Amino acid sequence: MSAVLAEPVTSAASALAARLAGITVEVRGQGRASAGGLPLGAGVVWRADGLILTNAHVATGAVSVVLPDRRVLPARLAARDVEHDLAALVVEATGLSAAEIGDSDALRVGELVLAVGNPLGVVRALSAGLVHATGRRFIQADLRLAPGNSGGPLADARGRVVGLNAMIVGGLALAVPSRAGCRFAREWLGR
Amino acid sequence: MDALLSLSNDLAGAVERAAPAVVAVHARRRLPSTGIHWRPGIVVTAEHTVRTSEDITVTMADGRSLPAELAGRDPGTDLAVLRVADAGSVVATPGDDAALKVGHMVLALGYGPRASWGVISALGPRWRSWRGGDIDRLVRLDLILYPGFSGGPLVDAAGRVVGLNTSALARETRLALPVTMVARVADELLRKGHVSRGYLGLGMQPVRLPEPLRAQLGLGDGGLIVVMVEPSGPAAHGGVLLGDVLVALDGEPVGELDDVQARLGSDRVGTEIRAVVLRGGVRTELRIRVGEQPRRRG
Repeated sequence: MSAVLAEPVTSAASALAARLAGITVEVRGQGRASAGGLPLGAGVVWRADGLILTNAHVATGAVSVVLPDRRVLPARLAARDVEHDLAALVVEATGLSAAEIGDSDALRVGELVLAVGNPLGVVRALSAGLVHATGRRFIQADLRLAPGNSGGPLADARGRVVGLNAMIVGGLALAVPSRAGCRFAREWLGR
Repeated sequence: MDALLSLSNDLAGAVERAAPAVVAVHARRRLPSTGIHWRPGIVVTAEHTVRTSEDITVTMADGRSLPAELAGRDPGTDLAVLRVADAGSVVATPGDDAALKVGHMVLALGYGPRASWGVISALGPRWRSWRGGDIDRLVRLDLILYPGFSGGPLVDAAGRVVGLNTSALARETRLALPVTMVARVADELLRKGHVSRGYLGLGMQPVRLPEPLRAQLGLGDGGLIVVMVEPSGPAAHGGVLLGDVLVALDGEPVGELDDVQARLGSDRVGTEIRAVVLRGGVRTELRIRVGEQPRRRG
């Protein structure tokens, strides 16, 4: 028997992984000391004109951003919301591949989710899992994350970003819902 | 539709189909465990999560909190059964655990609902838990059982219940009890409140038999030497003496204690078993009426 479903599932997953890697940045500290070290975390290209969203706990000071095309750009910390663990970074760039934003409120328990980030310094690594629970302040995912995933995208099976990975609690991945990200981008930036 | 999206929808659909029969069981301090609404008014859960027999409540999937009464428990298999009045008619749909294969994608569910995703990592034959229960089949899981998941259902990709998850039967290993076994034990618990096991009242140790004796009597490799006979126990009544070597039960050779336990299921309680012992090198046939293992309250 041939792999009727496994083959298309596998190729769809790898296509999605490549798409997500194309909207995920590395967030690094500025200065020579941090240039060779581990990334502080990850970020999501929210808009093509250089707006990048990450976690507030990742962007605590001056940072630089490594784009998917390997360009390293200094980033301005435009806004920070510690309560929702969100931060907005702006880089001087246009025509970036931006994330397609999904609706975190429409997530169903059991649906597949993918995360991309820089766990322990491995750049743009993929993790796959599923939605563990909904209806809480954070999306809970049955998904293996590690330090360095923070600020990176959590996406549904269509590749739409539904959250920003923020922490690991009891083996579960907790992500800031995309709704909170959209509200933050609107309120803090007036965009 | 994209295959990954179809799979994602199938998994979410499986959770939605199974979730209405997944309940929270409040029978210990702090963290509730999970239970399965098995038949109308009957909830099964993991025995080790039931730490009290009074003031147990169950939170149904629709949010109603209902009082529950402990109908029976079996520490050996880690199964407990609760009676819940007015629980409604939405119950679990059992699947076919005989069809499980290593590599099958499965979901473990906790009350809420909460979901955990993984695969069947190994299947094995009948085994005995360290708690002394006979488990029909080893079903080892490669997934995380999050806090409160014990007692919840293991479901297949179609949302059918193929097992009951527990973290208490093996260290560092996540297991599921096969659903057909859950059904059988639950029935026995509802009938009697406990699972009975056959009992001979003997202490025995494996011994090798000398070759000439084996050849002469047509025996297997070894037998079990009797080192303790409980006074007035079933075996004592049947005539077993200290120093006898048990070599067969019901015509089947016995060389290990497990061979004996395997012949003492609950169906044998009260029935006669044919025993063959060697006494002074002479083959002797005895009949023992199987007793019921005394229960330890825990």
